[in-house]
Amino acid sequence: MSGFSELIKNFDKTRDYVRDFFIYGFKMRNDFERKSSRTYDDEKRRVESWLGNYVRYDDSQRGRQMSITVDSGHIAENPLYQAYYSKSFTDNDIKLHFLIIDILFNGECLSLKELVNRLNDDYGQFFDEQTVRNKLKEYVKEGILLTEKRGKTAYFSLCTDRVEEYINEFHGLDDALKFFSETGEFSVVGNSILKSAEIKNDLFYIKHNFIVHTLEDSILPEIISAMEQKKFVSFYTFFAKNRLNNAVLTGENIVIPMQILCSIQTGRRYLVGYIPKYKRFNSFRLDFIRNVKTGEICNEYDEIHNKYLRNIHKCFGVSFGMRQDNGNVEPLKLTLKIDEISEDFIIERLQREKRNATLEKIGDNLFVLTIDVFDPNEVMHWAKSFIGRMISIEGGNKNIRERFYRDIIRMNKMYGRD
Amino acid sequence: MNIFSEIYGSYFRITAKLMKKEQLSDNEIIKVVNNEGFRDSVLFLPQKLIPQKDNSDWGLFKRNTDDTLSPVIKNKPVSPMTTLQKMWLKSKLSDPKIRLFLCDDTISALEKRLSDIKPLYNSSYFRYTDRFSDGDDYSDELYRKNFQAILNGVKSQEILEITFTSGHGQRIHRKFLPIKIEYSPKNDKFRVYSMLIKCGRIHSSGVINIGRIEKVRQTGQFCTIPVNIPKYLTKRKCSEPATVRVTTERNTVERFFMEFAPYEKQSERDLTTGECIVKIWYDKQDETELLIRLLAFGPTIEILAPSDFRQKAAERVLNQFEIFRHQT
Repeated sequence: MSGFSELIKNFDKTRDYVRDFFIYGFKMRNDFERKSSRTYDDEKRRVESWLGNYVRYDDSQRGRQMSITVDSGHIAENPLYQAYYSKSFTDNDIKLHFLIIDILFNGECLSLKELVNRLNDDYGQFFDEQTVRNKLKEYVKEGILLTEKRGKTAYFSLCTDRVEEYINEFHGLDDALKFFSETGEFSVVGNSILKSAEIKNDLFYIKHNFIVHTLEDSILPEIISAMEQKKFVSFYTFFAKNRLNNAVLTGENIVIPMQILCSIQTGRRYLVGYIPKYKRFNSFRLDFIRNVKTGEICNEYDEIHNKYLRNIHKCFGVSFGMRQDNGNVEPLKLTLKIDEISEDFIIERLQREKRNATLEKIGDNLFVLTIDVFDPNEVMHWAKSFIGRMISIEGGNKNIRERFYRDIIRMNKMYGRD
Repeated sequence: MNIFSEIYGSYFRITAKLMKKEQLSDNEIIKVVNNEGFRDSVLFLPQKLIPQKDNSDWGLFKRNTDDTLSPVIKNKPVSPMTTLQKMWLKSKLSDPKIRLFLCDDTISALEKRLSDIKPLYNSSYFRYTDRFSDGDDYSDELYRKNFQAILNGVKSQEILEITFTSGHGQRIHRKFLPIKIEYSPKNDKFRVYSMLIKCGRIHSSGVINIGRIEKVRQTGQFCTIPVNIPKYLTKRKCSEPATVRVTTERNTVERFFMEFAPYEKQSERDLTTGECIVKIWYDKQDETELLIRLLAFGPTIEILAPSDFRQKAAERVLNQFEIFRHQT
C-alpha cells in the first residue's frame, strides 16, 4: 500500500466508488470491473477512512462485502460530504494559504513583490514570484482576496467577510445554515460554512433524504453555468442498464441544457437537454454523466426553451418518449374505487400526488384519473401503488394495459400461495 | 470556483483549528487530528504539522525551548466567506423556507449585504417532478410563528403547550417536549419529534405536523436531562426488518437500490441469478408507505417477511385480482 494517500485529485473516479458502495451494498471486488485490483483496494481504503462509522462488513456466500450503511433520515450530517473534503494539495498550497492570510490579516494591501518579500522576511519561506502569482490569482477568483490596480501594479488585500461575523450579525442564520446544509441544492456548500464556524447541526433530520445526490454537485455548476449563458454542453454517459456491472461510457452527447428534473420518490435526477441532431428533448441521468464541458452559445436557446416549457407539462416524470416512438397515445384513464366516508385520505393522497392529472368523481365511491402525458408508461409505477382498488385502465396504449393485468396475475400467484 | 477544493478540505480545517492555539504539544496535535480527521489522517497529517528533522513538514509550527509547539503565524487564522459560499447563501434567500429562520428585516439586510453577488443557481433551473402538492405554507404568519416557537423549544429544551389537530381529525391540547425537527422534501412539510409530558414526566413519544399546529405556548418549564435520541429512534423502528427479493427483470435491481437508498438496509446478491435479498429497517409509522412503494414495483419484487407485512401485500393483490376476475 506504499504511496497510498487518503486525499484525492480526481473527484469523478472516487464518486463512482462511493456511490456504488452506498447504493449497492452487495458489490465486491470482482463487481468493480472497470478498475484494477490496486485501484479497488485504494478506493476501498479511502472510503473506510472517510466514512468509518458508516462502513459495514458482511460475510455473504460470495465472501466478505463492504457497504456504506446509513439511515439517512436520522443523521445530523451527510457523511458523503467527506469525499469533498479530501482534495489533495501541494506543500506550497497549504503554506501559502496560511501565510498570505496572516500577512494581510491587518488590512494591508500589498503587491506581488511585497508579498514575496514578506514571505521571505517574516517567515523565512522563499517562493518564486510565479508560484505566488498563481495562488493570488486563484484566491481572488475564490473571493478570499480582493485586488485593485494602482497604476500598472495589482495590489491584494484580504476579503473582510467572515463566516463568524455573518452568523453574529444576521440573527437566525446559524439555524438556517444547519437546515440548508442538509437539504436542497448544493447543501455541501452550506456544510462548508458550518464547518468554518465550527458549528454542527443539532436541530434537524431530513426524511426521504437522498444523501447520494451530493455526489452530483461536482458536475452541476458547469451545467447550470451553461444554462445561464444559453450554451451547449457536451458530456459522456453510462448505459443505464449496464451501470450495475460495468461502466462503459457511451459516445459524446452534445445537448442544449434546459432544466434539472428531480424525482424525490425514486431518487433519480436528470438533465433535460435538446438534442439538435435528433430534434428532440431527452433526459440524462445525472449520476451517469461524466466529463461535462461547456460549448458554444446557442442562438436559438430562447425559442427551444419556450418549446420545452410547453412540452414539460405533458411529462408525468421525465420522459418525452412515446409519441415519437409509437405515434400518438391516448390519455390514460384510471378508474379507482374509494370509500368516500372511510377512505377520504386516499382521495387526499390522489389530489396531492396526481401531478398534471385530473381527478373526477363519476359515481358512488368511483373516481377517474385522467392523465394526458407523452409517456403513460411512466404513470404505471405510481399507479401500482393503488393496487387493490383499480377498477379499470383505459387509454394509454395496449402494451401498458396488458402488462398491468399480467403483473396482477403474476403477483397473485406470488402471494396467493400463502 | 468549486466545492471540491482543498480550501474547504479536512486538512486545511484541522490545521486552522490547531493554529488558533498559541502553544500546544505534539500529543494535542495527534489528538485533534484523531478527533477531527478521517480515520487514517493520523498516519499522514501530524508528520506534516510537527517539525521534522529533515524539514519535510510544512513549516507552519515551530518548536519552543520547552518542547511545546507554536504556530509561525502572528494572528489567529480566519475563514473569509468565499464567493462560492456567498453565492450559495444568495440562492437560499430565494427559498421560501428561509423565512422560517430569518425575520423580514434580517432577510432584507442580508440581501443588501449580498447585493453584488450572483446567486449560485436560480430555483427555476430545478423542477421537482413528484413533490406532493399540499406542502406547508412557509409564508403564512401563524406557521412562521409556530415554527419559531418550536425551534426555540428544541434549542432550549423547553416544555411547550401545543394545540393541534391530529391526522385523525382529533383536536389535541397537551404539553410536549420538542426534541428534533424533521423535514421531508417529498412531502414538503416539517414535523416535530416530541415527548408527551404528563404530570411533569415524559409519558410517550410522538410526531406532530407543524402545519397542523394552531397554537404554541411557552410553559417556562425546562427539561434538565437530555433526551436519549438513539433510544427515541430505536423505539420508533420496526421490530423486524422487511425482507424482500429483488429480481433483475426491468432493471429492478438498479431502480430499487436507488429508490430505497435513504433506508438503512443490508443486501446480498446471488451471483448466478443476479437477484438480491434485501433487509430494510423502517419506522413503524411509515409501514404503509413502505408497503405501497414496494407494491409499485409489481412482480419484480417479492416481500418475503415478516409474515404479517407480506400478508398485507397479499390482501391488496388479492383484492385487485378479484376485481379483474369478476370483470372477465
